[in-house]
Amino acid sequence: MEQFIEVKHVSKSFKISKRAKGIPGTIANLLVPKYEKKQAVQDVSFSIAQGEMVGFIGPNGAGKSTTIKMLSGILYPDAGEIKVNGYIPYKQRREYVGSIGVVFGQKSQLQWDLPVIDSFELLKAIYRIPEATYRKNLNRFMEMLDMVEFINRPVRQLSLGQRMRADIVAALLHSPKIVFFDEPTIGVDVVGKEKIRSFIRELNAEDKVSMIFTTHDMQDIEKTCNRLIIIDKGAKIYDGSIFGIREKYGTTRQLDVEFSENYTVEPIQNVEVKELNELDGRKKRFIFENTQVQIDALMNHLLQNYGIRDINVSEPEIESIIGKIYAGEVC
Amino acid sequence: MLTPYLAFAKKSFLNRSAYRFNHFMGILNTILRIFIFWGIYKALYGDRSEVDGITMTMVTTNFILSICLEAVFCVNDFYLPDRINSGSIANELLLPISFPGRMLADNLGNAVFKLIYHFVPALIVSVLIMGIQAPAGIPMLLLFILSALLGYGVLWTISFAVQMCSFWLINVWSIVTIKNVFVNVLSGSMIPLWFMPDWMSGVLELLPFSSIYFTPVQIYLGQLSYGEIAVKCAIQVVWIGVIYLIGTLLWEKGKRKLVVQGG
Repeated sequence: MEQFIEVKHVSKSFKISKRAKGIPGTIANLLVPKYEKKQAVQDVSFSIAQGEMVGFIGPNGAGKSTTIKMLSGILYPDAGEIKVNGYIPYKQRREYVGSIGVVFGQKSQLQWDLPVIDSFELLKAIYRIPEATYRKNLNRFMEMLDMVEFINRPVRQLSLGQRMRADIVAALLHSPKIVFFDEPTIGVDVVGKEKIRSFIRELNAEDKVSMIFTTHDMQDIEKTCNRLIIIDKGAKIYDGSIFGIREKYGTTRQLDVEFSENYTVEPIQNVEVKELNELDGRKKRFIFENTQVQIDALMNHLLQNYGIRDINVSEPEIESIIGKIYAGEVC
Repeated sequence: MLTPYLAFAKKSFLNRSAYRFNHFMGILNTILRIFIFWGIYKALYGDRSEVDGITMTMVTTNFILSICLEAVFCVNDFYLPDRINSGSIANELLLPISFPGRMLADNLGNAVFKLIYHFVPALIVSVLIMGIQAPAGIPMLLLFILSALLGYGVLWTISFAVQMCSFWLINVWSIVTIKNVFVNVLSGSMIPLWFMPDWMSGVLELLPFSSIYFTPVQIYLGQLSYGEIAVKCAIQVVWIGVIYLIGTLLWEKGKRKLVVQGG
């Protein structure tokens, strides 16, 4: 079956001019320019079904934005194939972009000097949105995102959160089938973020719009997406559910124990013991892999040998797992 | 079909009207330039009534019309370079419209504004103070307008093609400046081609630059027969076609090389 979004073995590199330091270097470069090839995306493949919501994450410079830009028809891949909704984005750009919406958190598509509503009117003309659809979408989104108070204000006078909401609506007025969000919550406060996330969830549930997110905020992903694609150094390193990532990489557990007195704990095999310097040294942390150590065995061992007041097991935050993946600690 | 482009033209028209001080200074600049040329040519002519069969009135008419047209023909040479530099080209490419079409729409909105609020007042002031030769009849006036429109086409396509170089060069200021020198000197607006040596004016008449301002002015003055007008306008059309084609080729090649800066 043909998937809605199909990316096959896509690569993209950029040429970066490389300069030696100082004036001699600059002169040398003027005569014989040197270039360095930077591989932004390397042999990435994935497919996404209609109505899916996918989080696309990776450290800075991993190639996320480049991939989004190739998917939205702005950049040409050097190699590989992309097909979205039956179009080849970079070859059929004009026909294709009418069916997608893109929100760049860092680049507003609104007219800086004009009131928000004027930018919307301009988009209505550009996308040739029928009056009825435009009214319906505008009223619905304005209500969902709580925009009535600033719709007539010039964009330059909006707060970042308001501008972001306006930008999201701008990308959705023409009822796109796919929406790409490139860091949609960057720099937005907690309340604003929550508003944006619940809006996105609602839209996906009601309209079956496919969505691809890039973000650095793991909460964005946890609260909206059920699938996660992680790329690093231009290559895909994980593709699956959020729970899957915990199972695969999140095997570390920690056990915080409050003892009745300040014991010196005998070393236990495969378990790291950390002093927490709380409660006069009565609190200690035991860190281990749940693949190597049975938690009930460890607890039994502790309960039998020491007096214990409180015990608490925790699994790692998704954020710290991702951090470890980025740092190359797990794989 | 045209709705989006009209919307862009309208927007650029309205944007223009936002900067009033700048606008008045622009009119003043045009009038000052006309006065400077007037002063120079008055000194050059002294008390001769004509030089090489060209009267002072004809010369005055040439620079008044050329400089006023220049005000209308003001093309933003940095439309694409600015967008590539800031990375906002990404947003433009997300719109379901032709980018060259959008560039043209933006310039046309600007040109209409300049025609009404710049060309007309500057022309009236100049005509009242210096006087201008009347057009050689209504048909010639209409052909002048047609040829001036084609002249705008030539100028726009040249700028369009030059701007496409910004896909390869981050800074196109230098080639834009070179282009503007060619346009200013070789178009006959500063030094009418009448005063150039024959071999040179023969070459210049075939180049695109002279067809921007000088061809319309010659038609206005009634210096060309209908046959010659047809040839000159054909030259304009051919240049528009050729340069547009070059620009489009560069655009097609360039967008594959596009690097979106920032983010």
